[in-house]
Amino acid sequence: MRSGVAAGFSVRLVVFSMDLETGTMSSLKAKIQDVFNEPGCEKNRGKDAKARKKGCTKPLTPGAAAGGCAFDGAKIVLQPITDVAHLIHAPLACEGNSWDNRGAASSGPTLWRTSFTTDLSELDVVMGQGERKLFKAIREIKEAYAPPAIFVYSTCVTALIGDDIEAVCKRAAEKFDLPVVPINAPGFVGSKNLGNKLAGEALLDHVIGTVEPDDAGPYDINILGEFNLSGEFWLVKPLLDRLGIRVRASIPGDARYLDVASAHRARATMMVCSTALINLARKMEQRWDIPFFEGSFYGITDTSEALRQIARLLVKKGADPEILGRTEALILEEEAIAWKKLAAYRSRLEGKRVLLNTGGVKSWSVVHALMEIGIEIVGTSVKKSTPEDKERIKKILKHENHMFETMAPRELYAMLSKHQADIMLSGGRTQFIALKAKVPWLDINQERHQPYAGYAGMVELVRQIDLSIHNPIWRQVREAPPWDFQTSMKDEPPSSKSKTATVQGFKKFAGTTADDFGEC
Amino acid sequence: MPQSAEKILDHAPLFREPEYRQMLAEKKLNFECPHQDQAVTDQHEFTKTWEYREKSLAREALVINPAKACQPLGAVFAAAGFERTMPFVHGSQGCVAYYRSHLSRHFKEPASAVSSSMTEDAAVFGGLKNMVDGLANTYKLYDPKMIAVSTTCMAEVIGDDLRSFIENAKEEGSVPRDFDVPFAHTPAFVGSHVDGYDGTVKGILEHFWKGKQRTEASGTINIIPGFDGFCVGNNRELKRLLDLMGVSYTFIQDASDQFDTPSDGEYRMYDGGTKIQDVRNALNAEATLSLQHYNTRKTLLYCEEVGQATAAFHYPLGVQATDEFLVKVSAISDKEIPEAIRLERGRLVDAMADSQSWLHGKKYAIYGDPDFVYAMARFIMETGGEPTHCLATNGTPAWEAEMKELLASSPFGKDAQIWAGKDLWAMRSLLFTEPVDLLIGNSYGKYLERDTGTPLIRLMFPIFDRHHHHRFALMGYQGGLRVLTTILDKIFDKLDRETSKTGVTDYSYDLTR
Repeated sequence: MRSGVAAGFSVRLVVFSMDLETGTMSSLKAKIQDVFNEPGCEKNRGKDAKARKKGCTKPLTPGAAAGGCAFDGAKIVLQPITDVAHLIHAPLACEGNSWDNRGAASSGPTLWRTSFTTDLSELDVVMGQGERKLFKAIREIKEAYAPPAIFVYSTCVTALIGDDIEAVCKRAAEKFDLPVVPINAPGFVGSKNLGNKLAGEALLDHVIGTVEPDDAGPYDINILGEFNLSGEFWLVKPLLDRLGIRVRASIPGDARYLDVASAHRARATMMVCSTALINLARKMEQRWDIPFFEGSFYGITDTSEALRQIARLLVKKGADPEILGRTEALILEEEAIAWKKLAAYRSRLEGKRVLLNTGGVKSWSVVHALMEIGIEIVGTSVKKSTPEDKERIKKILKHENHMFETMAPRELYAMLSKHQADIMLSGGRTQFIALKAKVPWLDINQERHQPYAGYAGMVELVRQIDLSIHNPIWRQVREAPPWDFQTSMKDEPPSSKSKTATVQGFKKFAGTTADDFGEC
Repeated sequence: MPQSAEKILDHAPLFREPEYRQMLAEKKLNFECPHQDQAVTDQHEFTKTWEYREKSLAREALVINPAKACQPLGAVFAAAGFERTMPFVHGSQGCVAYYRSHLSRHFKEPASAVSSSMTEDAAVFGGLKNMVDGLANTYKLYDPKMIAVSTTCMAEVIGDDLRSFIENAKEEGSVPRDFDVPFAHTPAFVGSHVDGYDGTVKGILEHFWKGKQRTEASGTINIIPGFDGFCVGNNRELKRLLDLMGVSYTFIQDASDQFDTPSDGEYRMYDGGTKIQDVRNALNAEATLSLQHYNTRKTLLYCEEVGQATAAFHYPLGVQATDEFLVKVSAISDKEIPEAIRLERGRLVDAMADSQSWLHGKKYAIYGDPDFVYAMARFIMETGGEPTHCLATNGTPAWEAEMKELLASSPFGKDAQIWAGKDLWAMRSLLFTEPVDLLIGNSYGKYLERDTGTPLIRLMFPIFDRHHHHRFALMGYQGGLRVLTTILDKIFDKLDRETSKTGVTDYSYDLTR
């Protein structure tokens, strides 16, 4: 049996290499080149032709710790479309390991959280039964769930054995009279970010523009790259509602298939996470003349700026200019409320030192709001900030060197273990660096459980900082066991520890662990 | 009939069948003269108000749902922690049946105890004859190595004197002259089970130590655990820690084996417990440590009288309390706390840090024995929670003062309230008027959970309606980890329940928490 498997694979590999030259793989290759050549991306424009061809994502380093694959990236972008059945054409693990692992929220359908996979087995791989199984799986989903659309994801194994998911999807769509969308982003083609972009391409090729809305209006917008994590977009949507602005499609957070399919009739687009879907925004502008801007709902000033920009673009596209005045009035009112709420935290957080280490949450605006209530920023990453933002941050920070592109885990650990910050705000990836360096940590990436967008979200963020910093466990975390301070235990009662002993003990303890820890 | 041989319904679903519902409804309507539904609802609503709370707290005579047991229960539990010792309760046998079922239902183990079965004539003429016969029968029937005598109210009311009764019984040959029959007067109308425990352990120590010469063995420690429904897990965990340190110690009273015997075909009426010889030798220990101050107030005084150093703790649970205990043990025994224990401590601290965002600011109501409530309140504050209501029906003014000091030591105790001497009906009002996130107590709390919707965490004796919790330690760093996990489970279960409604709240029904 074992030799049989090996033989099966070698045969398939031949097919695969042939495909690279001719079949589906070559079209994928062209797609990747196209995605890399992104004129909407400022960085990309600065590159020469050769560098551009290499691609915009860092090449993977075998043997070094790395993030998710292209499949993961594609799934992240598309899965929050809530009423679609997401079918993963793969052996079990691709879906099994990524099933329901992101905190996007749905206001209605729950189908997106149901795990669909073809669960390919050894025999399927050897005998090449993948395509047949996939077709059957599509039929079974159609019969059992009747979703508005099915997204079919190719993966390493099914791409390697040469399953032509585009052909299967095409045939299934005809047969079942249902949009069946191939998502051609197998894991091995590259990074997570590349997968994000390929997902955007799939939407452009197969979804957006396929349905004409019967209610298009002058106040329709798209929001791209907003994932509705912890339902945070719901903190923003009421603001848009009050202005009479309709979100035609939020891609992908809390989206419905039909909304996405008719997104081409929106008048303006706000691009929230540009690194993920900039290609989508640019091509929608190209194809359907929908202007876009890059903005953020994190922080008070950024939220206001985003609302202004949306209004401006709508006016540019023919909406009544009176919306500009209404927008300003709303901003005035909401900002006042938010600042007032934030002021309540000043007494508890004044002088606290925060280290921001994140790309996702735009730094400037959050930095601004935190400093406004007396928090000191001892460092902030500016990896995803614009040059203007960087200038602004430079201006308000005491030291320029508190701004960094990225920080290596080792430096991060050294900084934290020297107790140069009271809390770190970051994604889950660096969570344990903070915790092991005995510093409180607050999750501001996708696994978090609190919504931070909009005015109310900023208040929530500050509240969470307050809770995290003031949890009593940190004192325990920082102090060594009491028996370390007692040279002559008999002389001292159990609970008394002299202050100086504590400080010395802490230094000693922190110093040794920092050195012993090494690379993390 | 809804019941059929094909599919037998359990009573829970059976009586929900229409026939039974109708029958019960008609019975209520026709024979029970019920109040109008509205009147019942109104009264029910009234019991949730501040006005009702004030009335309820002002109660002077009536106690509703007390969270305490009586002295002889503590005495029986204490006696069960010594080698081949039969608890003998002088008084009426009905009480003793209660102690046995109480212990049995909690530990899921047989609990042996006998009584002198006093009846009306004994009440009139005194219980001497019952004592004489009782000791003789116990000695013959159950082959004990020691009989520990305590009393029920009945014997106390008529004033039976145990010392002279036991003396007389020995005169009459009930048991051999040199047979060990320690005793303690344990009237249920004084104090609670923690005092019965105290009295019994003191009685046993006095019995063996009185008039003996003490030669101090430096560095040796006696440990008295106190009345502890988690003794099975706790005592074993503490022994593990002490063994890791290499301390020379004796547990005085250890029911961990008695209440956790294996199923291997052999019935053990007696198992484990402190060896009689060890109790004798314990006189020479340098120090006696009590794990529960309010369980050993008299015992520790006696230990001091014989010349031992003493120290009392409040159920060492969580980081600081365990630290204090270990540091004390280390100081007396002159043994260092090894690296292995330091790692355990670090792991508990790590776990608490990992979960802090879920625990921060949670409000708790805690009830139970004084030391336990103290320990839990302290641990809760370590996790950033607020012990909003701390209630001990058997809490004394001294306990109240100690609690005040504890709560004042942390900002998380700022709004906490201490309720010494109050009952669970008062707790019900407290939960309605000043709600909390979690209730920590024993099985009796399930009615509060049902009425007020406050999730209950069972960490206190007795636990009748959940199995085997007592087999896992609460004390020490490992125990802290277990308490932490239990609390977190409750929080996450509740969150899952609240977010599980499909299409309504399930936007937050997350896989990863």
